[in-house]
Amino acid sequence: MEVVKEQKSKNLWQHAWGTLLSDKFAVTSMAIVTIYFLVAIFSSLGFIAADWTKEIGPSYAPPSADYIFGLDIFGRSVLAKTLKGTEVAMSVGLVTGIISMIIGVTLGGIAGYFGGKIDEVIVWFYTTFNSIPYIMLLVAITFILGKGILAVYLALGLTSWVNLCRLIRGEVIRHKDREYVQAAAAIGGGDFRKLFLHILPNVMHIVIINFSLQFQTAIKSEVILSYLGLGVQGQPSWGTMINDAKLELARGNWWQLAAATLAMFIVVLAFNTLGDALRDALDPKLKGK
Amino acid sequence: MNIYTYIMRRLLYVIPVLLGVCAIVFVLFNLVSPDPTLIMLGKHASVKQMAELRAELGLDRPMLEQYFDIVKSAFTFDFGRSWTTKQEISEMIKAGAIPSLTVTLPAFVFSTILSIAISLLVAFYRGKAIDKVVVFACVALMSISSLAYILFGQYVFAFKLGLFEISGYDAGFPYFIPYVLLPILIIVIISVGPDVRFYRTVVLDEVYQDYVRTARAKGLGEKKILFKHVLKNALIPIITFVVIRIPFLILGALLIESFFSIPGLGGITLNAINSSDFPVIRAMTVLSAVAYIIFTVITDVLYTLVDPRVRLS
Amino acid sequence: MAEKILDVKDLVVEFNTDRGGVTAVNGVNLEVFKGKTLGLVGESGSGKSVTALSIMRLIPTPPGNIAAGEIRFRDKNLLDIPLDNMRSIRGNKIAMIFQEPMTSLNPVFTVGNQIEEVLELHQKELSNAQRKEKAIEMLRLVGIPSPEQRIEEYPHQLSGGMRQRVMIAMSLACEPDLLIADEPTTALDVTIQAQILELMKKLQDELGMGILLITHDLGVVAETCDDVAVMYCGQIVETADVKTLFAHPQHPYTKGLIESIPSFDSTSGKVKDRLPTIEGMVPSLFNLPEGCNFQGRCQNVSEKCRGSAGEPKLETIATEHQVRCFHPLS
Repeated sequence: MEVVKEQKSKNLWQHAWGTLLSDKFAVTSMAIVTIYFLVAIFSSLGFIAADWTKEIGPSYAPPSADYIFGLDIFGRSVLAKTLKGTEVAMSVGLVTGIISMIIGVTLGGIAGYFGGKIDEVIVWFYTTFNSIPYIMLLVAITFILGKGILAVYLALGLTSWVNLCRLIRGEVIRHKDREYVQAAAAIGGGDFRKLFLHILPNVMHIVIINFSLQFQTAIKSEVILSYLGLGVQGQPSWGTMINDAKLELARGNWWQLAAATLAMFIVVLAFNTLGDALRDALDPKLKGK
Repeated sequence: MNIYTYIMRRLLYVIPVLLGVCAIVFVLFNLVSPDPTLIMLGKHASVKQMAELRAELGLDRPMLEQYFDIVKSAFTFDFGRSWTTKQEISEMIKAGAIPSLTVTLPAFVFSTILSIAISLLVAFYRGKAIDKVVVFACVALMSISSLAYILFGQYVFAFKLGLFEISGYDAGFPYFIPYVLLPILIIVIISVGPDVRFYRTVVLDEVYQDYVRTARAKGLGEKKILFKHVLKNALIPIITFVVIRIPFLILGALLIESFFSIPGLGGITLNAINSSDFPVIRAMTVLSAVAYIIFTVITDVLYTLVDPRVRLS
Repeated sequence: MAEKILDVKDLVVEFNTDRGGVTAVNGVNLEVFKGKTLGLVGESGSGKSVTALSIMRLIPTPPGNIAAGEIRFRDKNLLDIPLDNMRSIRGNKIAMIFQEPMTSLNPVFTVGNQIEEVLELHQKELSNAQRKEKAIEMLRLVGIPSPEQRIEEYPHQLSGGMRQRVMIAMSLACEPDLLIADEPTTALDVTIQAQILELMKKLQDELGMGILLITHDLGVVAETCDDVAVMYCGQIVETADVKTLFAHPQHPYTKGLIESIPSFDSTSGKVKDRLPTIEGMVPSLFNLPEGCNFQGRCQNVSEKCRGSAGEPKLETIATEHQVRCFHPLS
């Protein structure tokens, strides 16, 4: 019984992977995401854009052959800042995604599996939580935690789990009475064993699709946080660059806005496309739509 | 169970949710947030000054009392006074609601009509080039930061080309119109991407149903099938999606209002955030939560009314 | 000899899929006569539903495409007429009912509304009141009690059997010459099944339409059909009148199908202890064998069947009895 199920799910993943690889857009998106990750890793190790703080020319030098994306107010390379900003963007996406995944899957799984009073409490909690505007929660959390990248991670992570939690809960409810779970119970599986070993692997596709979409939402939200003055301090991020542009634009200095927007556009587009491709590959009932 | 008992039950569930919202607000802003007197008086405040201010702001009262103040405010809309402007918050909200609505309401109506029209069009040509182009354009539009839209729109269309007012506001009809045009346009552009994607999925969910095949077998034309059979089914999720967004209109558009100096609720909220004006932040949070909760109830009730399949049990 | 209503000639339907092109229907010939029922039998994937949808020109294009053949309905080739004319035939001269009574009706319109819609489309001369009257009359005809009230109800308020009755009422509202019924009883309980088949037979006697009944269930065929065509892998493998087919099946596949009907033995007529099944699997349309498509599952298979003599042709072995087999059974 168990072996059959595992083989089946393995084939499903293999098939999904095959579908993904045959989709040109998905492959391009994966390549883009990988490149962004590599840039982020190399920049955090100091191989790329380590000299972003250095003044290399006149203040607000426009883009030219020497300075591809121009220079900022302090004569720093916008290109270097944009590359360095990848570090913040990718880490914000990743950490936020992981935080919301852990909360969403745990609460959703427990609510769906145990049902009854536990379910009622969890549903009440996320309904309540969801009634409070996202931006207010962000603000409150950053008030409490102070400014900085850690606050950004937590603020975005702690406010973005409700949707996943709801999906997982629904899916677990559908799965828990199926034969394979009953079979696991028959051979003496405990509740947590059943939930984590038998049910959750079968709802993994939702987690993956959600993660991909969560990633890009977090990157976009970082811009809003920067605008609210609650963003990352001490190192460049696309959010702070776009936010700086509000004063620069009046003087015609558009390149910082353009560089950060472009860098963000490409990776967010890649994640969006990847999210759609993942949905097509992993959620066959939505196929062809 | 009839519709009235359903509405009653749904309304009863509002109470625990509202109490929960107030609890979260209380925990966030009264319990664990840093001492606001420190923010207001600066680092060099004496202990005595701080104690005085705490007493003045009512922060020295028992915790339970402070919690019930928040709960009470959710029903009376009496939120006290702002710490910075010293105005009655309820008066500030009244004054800000209209300017916010002059931007958000037309933007919402236009973007909803436009998005539904586009989604029906692409559903009609599903799988064809135009569908693919529109879907890609939506994703591309969604991949740009809303802040970039605002900055770029203001810079190019208002500043460079002079087509619109750069910022400002004049109260009263029709004086506000020149000031809200560009903000409306920007909101429409920001919302059309995700909206078309959502409505398209809803419509396509229906297009592949068996009843569509039956309608074809009856001899109905594709247009009639789409606009009569499919649209009436799709309207069920569309209505709920539209209604649940209404409370957000009252709240205004945070970024837009601040960039275009529109004296709406979004701007008030933003100022409060910048000056750590806790009573205003709390008031806006409670107000939006109440609006959201009420509209969820309305959505649920509407759902049972528009969908003949929903049997109340 | 009754009047011939439908004459399908050498119909070929192809589908383009991710894995390449397939021929779902490969040279099918069918004839349906006025007041008679032709049963089209086969396993799922044999191409019987595709054939039916092709007659209505409801094949989703792309990926599907009617590549060759003729579909003559009375004196017209349906494949030649403009789509607008085809629409005026659908639901009017040719009507169709489907397997899924639960989902085939539109959930947000009342039953009456959906019946009246057909009349609105094809009998424009009727007034609103007349349409309503006709809809009530149709519901009464298909045996729905208190039709005046039922007409205001939504599909979800009816049982599966009742919904299929509504589908039948809707399809017969314009008194079509041909009714295509695609597995009309498969999703229903056995007792309801019998009632629906009975009803179709009764209405055929009253209205005189020809019926093309698509089913995988030879039991249903035995009860309701006049003639039978057996489909396998997109081709007709045997066709005969119902008595001949059950008494003297010539194709091993037909024989296998008959033997696997519960409680019926083609030779002794007695209740069987154990049901024989047809061994093996239907070959994939992507990967059909050389020669006879049934070779992998046939007990009488020979070298000839494996491709040395090409594909078997549909041969006439007696009047109105044709079989596609190198080694017919008797």
